[in-house]
Amino acid sequence: MVEVRSPLRERITPGQFGAPGDAGVVLGNRTLAGLWQIAGWSDFDEAADPVLQALGLTALGSYRQAQQAAGVRAWRTAPDRMLFETPQDLTPFNSAALAVLDLGHARTCITLSGPIARDVLAQVIAVDTAPDVLKPGMFLQTGLHSVAVLVHCTGPDAFEILVPVTWAESVWDILFENALPYGIAVREAA
Amino acid sequence: MIRINCPICGLRSETEFTYGEDASVTRPAMDESAAQPWLDYVFNRDNPRGWHREYWHHAQGCRQWLVLERNTLTHEIGTCRLAREDAA
Repeated sequence: MVEVRSPLRERITPGQFGAPGDAGVVLGNRTLAGLWQIAGWSDFDEAADPVLQALGLTALGSYRQAQQAAGVRAWRTAPDRMLFETPQDLTPFNSAALAVLDLGHARTCITLSGPIARDVLAQVIAVDTAPDVLKPGMFLQTGLHSVAVLVHCTGPDAFEILVPVTWAESVWDILFENALPYGIAVREAA
Repeated sequence: MIRINCPICGLRSETEFTYGEDASVTRPAMDESAAQPWLDYVFNRDNPRGWHREYWHHAQGCRQWLVLERNTLTHEIGTCRLAREDAA
């Protein structure tokens, strides 16, 4: 399998930037364990079932709450479409009823955390990011700098943003610019 | 700002969507041989003042096609459904 390389590998310079003192925001880039999209038609529930079983999931889930199983994350992105982060190869599930697509090379994951992370996110997306609305485990699909992204709230002040690799630098720059006034700690790409 | 209540994603800014087309036109029957119904279907559109049914695409969200009611006078948004449900 071809190694997945971060599109941000030359952009990311680890260190402390912006306002002095404790960093309000920690920015980083995480290599995805493997990202797969499955899509189907009107019988999607039935067609997706073998994939869900293989990954240890029991249901398609909701459009707001991410699912988690051993080594797997799942997001229901549309009535007949799901996204999985898993190291498993889902190609064998490809069929006339289910289109399986490897997105491992098409998306990267920007991590955003820290006490001001939620405020920075609120500056760049037109969706309510209040703690009682966007809770840990929830996700949303939205436009960030006019780029379609998936934002997953992974903790009280922690988010992961799945970004198309071709727009990763633009999204990174926007987050960086907006976070500068609060101080940024940039982590080495993981 | 227009806000659209996507049945999948919830209430979102109009900036996440792109306008598709007039959802009030109906395609003539495939055996229709008169030219006028096809001319109306392909080219002619009303320009109503008030409520209008339109296709919109949630391009930066769930990527679903929606049929929604929009008031062309006030930009108020009425009902919003998945196009697949509207067509069923």
